[in-house]
Amino acid sequence: MCVCVCPRAGLPSPVRPICDPRVLDRFIMEARDTETALRGCKAGCGVTGTFVVPLTNVDFVVWETKDTEEQALEVQSGMSLFGQALGAVRESVSRVAVQILIDNNKSNIHSLGQVLRSLHIQDLPLPPAPAVGDLVTRKVSSLSELLHVHTNFLRGKVRLLLTNAPACQQNST
Amino acid sequence: KKMTNDNLNKLLVFCVLFCAQKTSIVHGAQALETKVALLLHAEPENPKCFAEGMSDLTCFWEEDEERAGSADQYSFIYTYQNENSSECSITALPAAGGKRLYFCRLSQTQLFVPLDIRVFRDDLLIHNRSLFIEAVFLLDPPANLTLTSTGMQGQLKASWLPPSLKYMGDSMMYEVSYAMAGSHIGKVEEVQASSELILRGLQSGTKYKVRIRVKLDGISYSGYWSAWTDPVLMETMPGDLDPLIVSLSLIISLVLTLLSLLVLMSHRRFLLKKIWPIIPTPESKFQGLFKVYGGDFQEWLGHSTGGLWLRPTYFYSEEFPVPLEVLSEVSLGPALPSSALPPKASEALGEEEDEDKKLKRVDPALMEGWRKTPQEHWTMDQLRAIHQHPAPWTQSSLLESHDAYVTLNAQNHSVEEPLDDILEETLPLQVLFASGRTSSESRSDLGSVQQSSGSGRLSSQSSFEYPNHTWPSKGPGYTYMAVADSGVSMDYSPMSSNKIDDIGKGVIYTNEYKNEIPAHRRPIGTPIHFAF
Repeated sequence: MCVCVCPRAGLPSPVRPICDPRVLDRFIMEARDTETALRGCKAGCGVTGTFVVPLTNVDFVVWETKDTEEQALEVQSGMSLFGQALGAVRESVSRVAVQILIDNNKSNIHSLGQVLRSLHIQDLPLPPAPAVGDLVTRKVSSLSELLHVHTNFLRGKVRLLLTNAPACQQNST
Repeated sequence: KKMTNDNLNKLLVFCVLFCAQKTSIVHGAQALETKVALLLHAEPENPKCFAEGMSDLTCFWEEDEERAGSADQYSFIYTYQNENSSECSITALPAAGGKRLYFCRLSQTQLFVPLDIRVFRDDLLIHNRSLFIEAVFLLDPPANLTLTSTGMQGQLKASWLPPSLKYMGDSMMYEVSYAMAGSHIGKVEEVQASSELILRGLQSGTKYKVRIRVKLDGISYSGYWSAWTDPVLMETMPGDLDPLIVSLSLIISLVLTLLSLLVLMSHRRFLLKKIWPIIPTPESKFQGLFKVYGGDFQEWLGHSTGGLWLRPTYFYSEEFPVPLEVLSEVSLGPALPSSALPPKASEALGEEEDEDKKLKRVDPALMEGWRKTPQEHWTMDQLRAIHQHPAPWTQSSLLESHDAYVTLNAQNHSVEEPLDDILEETLPLQVLFASGRTSSESRSDLGSVQQSSGSGRLSSQSSFEYPNHTWPSKGPGYTYMAVADSGVSMDYSPMSSNKIDDIGKGVIYTNEYKNEIPAHRRPIGTPIHFAF
């Protein structure tokens, strides 16, 4: 699924907030399907190297102490890291079936960015790439683990951010 | 006083809180016992863990009482991904069936990250498990399950309060089970992210039992089905008759009724014959017998003489009329004993002791000869025997017979008279009735009387008119016919007058017909019998 917003000439038109949780649920399910499909891939589907991924753990008590911008920043930086990692994986895979799945996940990450933009979560200037060892990232060395972290990140932090986005709270009340 | 009131108030508040807490504790204990039972059945791995809210986790395992150790012998170590290990304090509780449960409860958790759990007993690893906490949710059942009517036939609306979990409202799915009260066969429907459901297709006017349970949908959060709520009962609206069905039923009933009536009308005669068969009545044969004389046949006969003659059919039956011809005149000798009568006639006359005695005076040879002869040939043979062996005959025995017999007397008339006139006008006919004898054929045997040569008017005389038991002497102009009555039919055999003369004083039975019946002699309804 691809959510596209076509900018018109002149002032950009306001985009309606996308608050339907089924949108993100679809992204989560496709990421999980990709993880399941490539779990048994021999020799890691030919993917070598390490990838920096964001942490996915959510402590609700701590999460609720963060404001929306901090949450959004955490989500956006993490989505950026996954985009970079999947791009590197796409370059190293030779099997067409694997390439199709990776391309689909990359497209979903791009669409998710559009959803965040619709919720008036502006693209924040990303901080410098976090180094390995920071409390917000960690390193993975296999495609299956990369996809697994990707799924967990979507199910946790991204979903919490979208569910509690102020734009969606105003629509539900 | 003020201090006393304050103390009392504090005491009251303390009691209320204590009671509430105790109630809550009791309720919580019951809920925990239910969840433990559910997981013991649903989760094969150990330790069994479940999350009830956003930031808790409860793990437990079970051991036999005999092998169980104290709580301090065990250690529960848990480690989040990329973090240091931590230890959870263990609590032991007794369980049913000689078991012991060991519990560990975490009050601060991290979701969407793997959690490793290791359990040690005296530094020996007994359990090891890795799980995601957001995947082991075991929620409380929905609260306030309510059934209401939708106002439509066969429907009920079920509504409930979802578990109050932040961030998870749209991830909950529910299973609604409903069945007729008292039945174990029911249906189940699932609904997602909703707090009500309309049950359709229910029977009208029926009480239904509904219950519900909840589970996370498995996309972001998942877990186990909760326990069922307590069942709620409600009766559906009573059913109304569908107007279309009612109208169709009426039309079909009307059509069937009309068809039935048509069939009955077309076959009414046949049905009437079967249901009310016409009882045959002889009224048509006896004009006025029932309507005028009320069934009094004797009176009817007495008043319908001309009618009898006008209706020669009275004398006729299905059998052909038998001409009766007087052949010759025979002077009557001494009467034969009654035993000389034909066997059938003897029976008809009735056996009396006097007649039996007279029988003994009869020539045994003669009697034997008579008895051997078949009835249908009695007349000729018997007459021959009589001619050869004339037997004594007493008139008294003849007349003492209670049987009826008819004699015919031919009178001298001019030959020119037509037979028809003689038949219809000049032939008196008297019929005597026998007692106790039924012979419908006798009546029908009253055939036409024809006059033979030389005979003119025929008259009939009753044997009862001769109290002196003497037969009147007749002229030579008589002709006779021998009639044998077998009881079934009568055999008329003409007898020549010469033979009759030869018989002389033999046994001759004359038939005297008169058209008047002595009333005192004739009981009502007795049939006619002819004895010869």
